[in-house]
Amino acid sequence: MSLDATYTRELPLVEGKTSFKEIDDVIAKPTETKPNIKWYIAIGISITALMIGAVCLGLTFWYGVGLWGNNQPVGWAFDIVNFVFWIGIGHAGTLISAILFLFRQKWRTGIARFAEGMTVFAVMTAGIFPAIHTGRPWLDGYLFPYPNQHGLWVNFTSPLLWDVFAVSTYFTVSFVFWFIGLIPDFATLRDRTKSGIKKAIYTIVSLGWRGSNRHWQHYERVYLILAGLSTPLVLSVHTIVSFDFAVSVIPGWHTTIFPPYFVAGAIFSGFGMVSTVLIIVRKVFDMEHIITVNTLEKMNKILLATGSMVGYAYAMEFFIAWYSGNQIEQFTFINRAFGPYAWAYWIMFSCNVFFPQLFWFKKIRRSIPITFVLVLLVNVGMWFERYVIIVTSLTRDYLPSSWGMYFPTMYDFGILIGSFGMFFTLVLLFAKTMPVVAMSELKAVTEGAQPSKKHKH
Amino acid sequence: MIGKILKKFDDRFLKSEPRTGELFAVAALFDTPDKIIHAADKVSGAGYKKFDVLTPYPIHGMDDAMNLKPSKIGWVGMIAGTSGTLLAFLMIWWMAGINYPIIYGGKPFFNLPASIPIMFELTVLISALTLVGALITIFMKLPANANPLMDTDFIKRVTSDKFGIYIEAKDTKFNLKQVRGLFEELGASSVSNIHEAVYDVGDTNNPLLSKNFVGAIIGTSLVTVGITYLILNVVLFLPPFDWMHRQAKVLPQTESKFFKDGFSMRKPVVGTVARGYIPYEFTGMPDSLVVPIPNPLPVTQKVLDLGKKRYDTYCSPCHGYYGKGDSRLKGQFPVPPTLLSQKVTNWKDANIYHVITNGQNTMPSYSSSISRDDRWAIVHYMRVLLRSQNANDSDMVGK
Amino acid sequence: MDYIKKQLPDSLTKTGGILLAMGVLILILAFIFTPQRAFFDYLWIYLFMVSIAIGSLALIALEYLVGATWSTPFRRITEIFASLTPVLILLAIPLFFGMHDLFHWTHAEVVENDAILKSKASYLNVEFFIARTFFCLLLWVMFYFLLTKNSEKQDIDGDPKYTKKNITLSTIFAPLFIVTITIAAIDWAMSLEPHWFSTIFGIYYFSGTIIAALAATTFASIKLKEGGYLDSSLGNDSFYSLGTLMFAFNIFWAYIAFSQFILIWYADIPEETFWLIHRWDGSWKFVSIALLFFHFILPFLILIGRNAKTNLRLLKIIAPWMLIAHALDLYWLIFPTLFVGNASFGWQELSFPLIVAGVTMIVFKMSADKKNLMPVKDPKLQAGLEFHL
Repeated sequence: MSLDATYTRELPLVEGKTSFKEIDDVIAKPTETKPNIKWYIAIGISITALMIGAVCLGLTFWYGVGLWGNNQPVGWAFDIVNFVFWIGIGHAGTLISAILFLFRQKWRTGIARFAEGMTVFAVMTAGIFPAIHTGRPWLDGYLFPYPNQHGLWVNFTSPLLWDVFAVSTYFTVSFVFWFIGLIPDFATLRDRTKSGIKKAIYTIVSLGWRGSNRHWQHYERVYLILAGLSTPLVLSVHTIVSFDFAVSVIPGWHTTIFPPYFVAGAIFSGFGMVSTVLIIVRKVFDMEHIITVNTLEKMNKILLATGSMVGYAYAMEFFIAWYSGNQIEQFTFINRAFGPYAWAYWIMFSCNVFFPQLFWFKKIRRSIPITFVLVLLVNVGMWFERYVIIVTSLTRDYLPSSWGMYFPTMYDFGILIGSFGMFFTLVLLFAKTMPVVAMSELKAVTEGAQPSKKHKH
Repeated sequence: MIGKILKKFDDRFLKSEPRTGELFAVAALFDTPDKIIHAADKVSGAGYKKFDVLTPYPIHGMDDAMNLKPSKIGWVGMIAGTSGTLLAFLMIWWMAGINYPIIYGGKPFFNLPASIPIMFELTVLISALTLVGALITIFMKLPANANPLMDTDFIKRVTSDKFGIYIEAKDTKFNLKQVRGLFEELGASSVSNIHEAVYDVGDTNNPLLSKNFVGAIIGTSLVTVGITYLILNVVLFLPPFDWMHRQAKVLPQTESKFFKDGFSMRKPVVGTVARGYIPYEFTGMPDSLVVPIPNPLPVTQKVLDLGKKRYDTYCSPCHGYYGKGDSRLKGQFPVPPTLLSQKVTNWKDANIYHVITNGQNTMPSYSSSISRDDRWAIVHYMRVLLRSQNANDSDMVGK
Repeated sequence: MDYIKKQLPDSLTKTGGILLAMGVLILILAFIFTPQRAFFDYLWIYLFMVSIAIGSLALIALEYLVGATWSTPFRRITEIFASLTPVLILLAIPLFFGMHDLFHWTHAEVVENDAILKSKASYLNVEFFIARTFFCLLLWVMFYFLLTKNSEKQDIDGDPKYTKKNITLSTIFAPLFIVTITIAAIDWAMSLEPHWFSTIFGIYYFSGTIIAALAATTFASIKLKEGGYLDSSLGNDSFYSLGTLMFAFNIFWAYIAFSQFILIWYADIPEETFWLIHRWDGSWKFVSIALLFFHFILPFLILIGRNAKTNLRLLKIIAPWMLIAHALDLYWLIFPTLFVGNASFGWQELSFPLIVAGVTMIVFKMSADKKNLMPVKDPKLQAGLEFHL
């Protein structure tokens, strides 16, 4: 029995009647042909940005972190802001690939692979910041508990150490999840390619996959379990990131809603970034009928939902700060909204809470240009959210005698630009060399891909 | 140049049939999922065991049609996950609670709430890695690039848009004609014989043993070793890595231009005494000790344990664990006489204390390395050693 | 589809009536002997009813919001549980008479001498409290009627437009629901300790209500299926998702509870920790530990396997288990204010299970008699019945 599509909200995933062969052709095309001029322009810009970051980072290593704007009392600034921002970006990928998988949301198929890839790249980008903020990244081995000549162990009570475990676990598991999903597609590419060297590479990475049902049987089970493991994992990662702040006694940091609030914010920012990149990619690689407007509309709905959750958290923070009767807590929030960093606060508030409310309108949800502007604003807003939380709370805490201001330097901005460069370079290389849509999954959800009736023995 | 290399890759990896090996299997392609599921059902129903269905994506209900048992891989994840939790718990408990306790925020050395995040992360990490490792190597037996199906037209279709089934020649019920007939009857769009991957043409030498490959491996290793050596011994002593070595600070025993007298080390202010400093005035030979101070410590188990610990650390390297003068230094330092002599037995506690404090002959003073109380505890412990090493038969008589 | 509407047995009303009468009797006796304790018991009963009613309402909205098909066969049962919502208005009235016994901040002389309470008097005062309560209740009742009316109308002609209407309604309801449940949680539970505050508290209570609603739906569905009141093609696989959601929301609850706990424990600020210390004093320690095991660890271990979620005999045990666990959770939230130092469970508290069971049974029967037990003409129903893993 076929259902009214608008009714069950399960629209056909691939627009038009597409054969399996055509799916392969479209998705494998970037890996088999020379990229167009748009791609070269994009990667040129990305690599330039990456180089700016590399130069600023090199100077930082040479002269030390004194080049940054960090000061007393703002000991944590751009490095942590960028770290939290990029880790948050990663969360959308896991949400799409794992949580929506568990919820059997088939529309995820067109974008899951891409989002997973973005998770891996975003976490790699995020990983730079804790590594460099120590000032001596060549000594970062001490972050891990290994038996060293000093007889020291790491401090297991510190949330920063939890971060080390959370982020490295998150990266490893995301990477494995991504790779497992890629194996069947690598096999498809292996059997398509006309070039010996590509064949050699795909042969190695596809591990000799042959699509055997005796394999699919275990493979599907593992995929399900990995999705089940990734779901609490993704919650835990941003929860632990929020613990970095919330276990302290700094007003504005210590509040119990931080864990779910950070997770919602992370998913929100991640969807913003995934949308941004997808809108570009579907144009550059002609994939409008696979990454459809319907998919983007669904993502906009999630943006609306998570944006409102973030708004709820802002409101709760304000309300409870008043309700607590704690003057320092109350001052912190008044200072955020009306103090010297009010501009940052209102950028954050309008980009995260106000503008996404436009997604209530179906017309706006389905308009690609407006969506593109709004998701860019979401990216900006979520970066500023971390800036507001970290910087305003640190500049003015309990003792007015130790208040200060924070001004970033050009090196701070250079490294921020470099992080974007790194992320987009990786994304573009990925889009060129690997199937950006999961071909095997996409085939499985096209019309007529499954047996027409429940088979009886 | 590049073209030539690419050509070599093409020759080696872009193989095609015909092959000359023995018959491996008979394979058939089907066009729709309904047909393949029907075929799988019939083949497994006919009693074939060594057969497999290859599809570009998993097909619902195929496990039943092929008569496969449910996957047990979930248990691997379960066991690995539990081990991960336990491992993390033991690690934190031992490292933070036992081996290297630090006071942090007034929390107990080992505390469960703060351990939960890492316990959770390691549960997920170990469970996921074990699962995937087991899936690939044990459950799917991959990598398997040598499978005869590779590089056939058959597999090129089943990883793209067709559904394949094959029955191996090794199957006990295998009969070429019957199998081909069965497939055609089931509506296969094409049926083919698959032979073992032996080719008529081409390079048959193992490329892993070629001179170039082995040379490249050796060359890479040498370069890696060289770079590692340079980094550890040269690069790390260049700026900015050496900036911790070169600090603006005063080193002992060096000249100082800051102070008038040119010494970098400073003398204590005249008329002051360092905190906790208690003078010990006697010098000279132990026998000439004028005022025999009594041992201030009581003889208790705790003191004797402390004495043993300190004795084993500071005294035993030369005097031996039982004071017999059996040095462990193997002649690198003069071997002292035994402590079990009549002379030492007759000494008062203060004499022994004096020797530890001031030294004697080649023995240096230990006043700076062993605290006062620890020295007195060593004296008590030495009395125990003397008594135990000079035990009589009568001591053995039980009460 | 072979669903034929059958009347539920009348014994349900009878048993429910007897239980309710016994419970009310106990409560009246408690009111005579220990009036303050009686009001705390009543608050406990009331909050539990709110959990089931509003949690069910949220579940209905959630189905429309995400376009789930598997839950459609169960939706009517959830709707019947949500029919407790109008009753909540009636049940709220005794609460207002007990405010002086329940809420410390209603004592004018105390507020006068307490700078912190004075500073929040513009929120915590009797008039505003009653206004907020009615605002929340009326909003819930309104959405209850709107959502169920459309759903029932669809039973007649199966017109998809009702589903579309409900999708719109659910979208509007979602943000309002979150705001109102937060107000409810702060007013009825958090303000029992008026000095204490926690920004996550609304979400904490919300997670519990969803568990309660899921457990109630699961239990009733299994019972009705066994009695042959539901379509026979409703297979065990359909229950899988109910079990999974119960499992998932239980983890969510634990996650929220742990977040609240560890942040307060770690920062160790006295203005927050006293709330946890009250729940760790004397025998409260055992209640706290029991809550951890009974609410989270044991159900987690039981439900983690794939087969457990399709095993109806197991689910039939786990569902009431989770309801009891939620009751324990509410007990843990409410009673440390009254029983300072040591937990206590006396004959007065027996009114809780009796009244809850009694009211639920009577309302369930009354509401179920008026409608089909399945949304018979819902276009998604067939897909929901055919759901297979």
